Amino acid sequence: MSDAESIVYIVDDDEAVRDSLCFLLKSVGIAGNAFSSGNEFLEAYDLGWQGCILLDIRMPGVSGMEVQRQLSERNCALPIIFITGHGDIPMAVEAMHLGAFDFIQKPFHDQELLDRIQQALATYRETQDELALKKEVQERYEKLTPREKEVMEAVVRGHANKVIAMDLELSQRTVEIHRARVMEKMQARSLASLVKFSLLRNS
Amino acid sequence: MNAFIEAIIVISADGKIERFNTTAEKMFGYKAEDVMGKDINILMAGPDHYRHDNYVERYLETGKAKIIGIGREVQALRSDGSAFIAHLAVGEVGWEGRRRFVGMLRDLTDTKAAEERKLRQHQEMINASRLTTMGEMAAAMAHELNQPLAAISNYASASLRMMKSGDENLEDIETALQHIDAQAHRAGEIIRRLRDFVRPENISLEVINVAAVIDEISPLAELDARANNITLRISVADNLPEIVADQLQIQQIILNLLRNGVDAMKDADPENRKLRMKAYCSAPDEVRIDIIDRGQGVPEDIKENLFDPFFSTKSDGMGMGLAICQTIAKAHSGRLSFLNNPKIGTTFSISLPTKVD
Repeated sequence: MSDAESIVYIVDDDEAVRDSLCFLLKSVGIAGNAFSSGNEFLEAYDLGWQGCILLDIRMPGVSGMEVQRQLSERNCALPIIFITGHGDIPMAVEAMHLGAFDFIQKPFHDQELLDRIQQALATYRETQDELALKKEVQERYEKLTPREKEVMEAVVRGHANKVIAMDLELSQRTVEIHRARVMEKMQARSLASLVKFSLLRNS
Repeated sequence: MNAFIEAIIVISADGKIERFNTTAEKMFGYKAEDVMGKDINILMAGPDHYRHDNYVERYLETGKAKIIGIGREVQALRSDGSAFIAHLAVGEVGWEGRRRFVGMLRDLTDTKAAEERKLRQHQEMINASRLTTMGEMAAAMAHELNQPLAAISNYASASLRMMKSGDENLEDIETALQHIDAQAHRAGEIIRRLRDFVRPENISLEVINVAAVIDEISPLAELDARANNITLRISVADNLPEIVADQLQIQQIILNLLRNGVDAMKDADPENRKLRMKAYCSAPDEVRIDIIDRGQGVPEDIKENLFDPFFSTKSDGMGMGLAICQTIAKAHSGRLSFLNNPKIGTTFSISLPTKVD
């Protein structure tokens, strides 16, 4: 995925803060989408959204922490950066324990915030890319025959062809053919990448 | 007498413990032999600690009982210094030709917990609507002030960034500047409100009775103390002269100082978790309220700055509480002062002039 698809979702009850944050993001070419309350955001939220969330921890009505809780129930993978005020540190620490990406204390420097947003977006992209690759690897794996799967398990465990042949009661030549098919179907250019795919699939 | 579910304590007419059953031992954490002959006061917490003498005296003199045959809730004190609420019924007996009083106590801790939650919610509401302590108000102000400041900073830094990158849109920057202007005014408005709050002309003066003022806030203060395992003892001298003051603001000072006292003893040992408040006549024309904690005391090097605005020793403090307390005291032609106690802790005192007839 690219930067262009990423949107920073801003949830803050203060109109000036919301508007100025959008303006700040615009100055670095990041798209912002602002919501004035936790409820408004939760109603609009869609699993397909990409980017990160900038969430005011202290809001009337649904609090920032409550928004975080509900999003996690809905399996939202967007990183959350909390904006906290004076004396909110204990709350922010709890939010971090509950999986928040980061928090930033008001008043903050614009660069400090932008850096964290960039980090959050980068982290999100990495996890998304990894998820996509994992899905792809699983699809490739499912195209293997049962015998090829057996050979692959043995190969990634580091067994030599001769050992595999003995274990599976096959000729060494047959194992070699299976092995070549596994590498081809899994699109692994080396044993190392096959091991990596195997680990990823089982993660 | 030892088989009773209620704690039974027999005292002599002058308040000395003569019998103490096993339930009482469990309830108070004392062995009977440890309390025999001791004054009943050692088992009483809060205002009851001091009132008890008066009750017995009054009864013996006038025959008017405040408690006999009626029963009421009292604050009792365990041997470890923790307080609990109990229902006390007292009967008078005469045997061996002497007058004695029999007290029967039932521990109301569990029953009280539910009631307390309700009371606390109620108090929180009061807190929010009018008795908000200075510190909380200042924190709320700071939060509010942070909003326009954050917005100003965002607009300004974004505009700078746009201008530096060379692809600025003048219209965008003009809008940002307008927003900056508006937000600066908004911040000014918040500060003006903060100043109004403590401005002398906004004090609504009335003739008030200090005892009544303290009575009104003592449930809230005791709740706060108890929540922090601190025993609060309040004593108010009889016949205090009236003062002319803004009741709400005086209550705010007292609550704020009590809160500070509680905070000062957050890490104190159990035997030192005692907060005292005394109201008395310190001069013919002056009423004084002392709040005495047993915390760490005020370090020498910060004594001078203690009342400065935004000076705080608490990690989450705004440093506004004492500053505003002092402003209020001065607006009442009064004084706020403090002195480290000889042994432990600090005494904060508010002195207020009495009503001039």
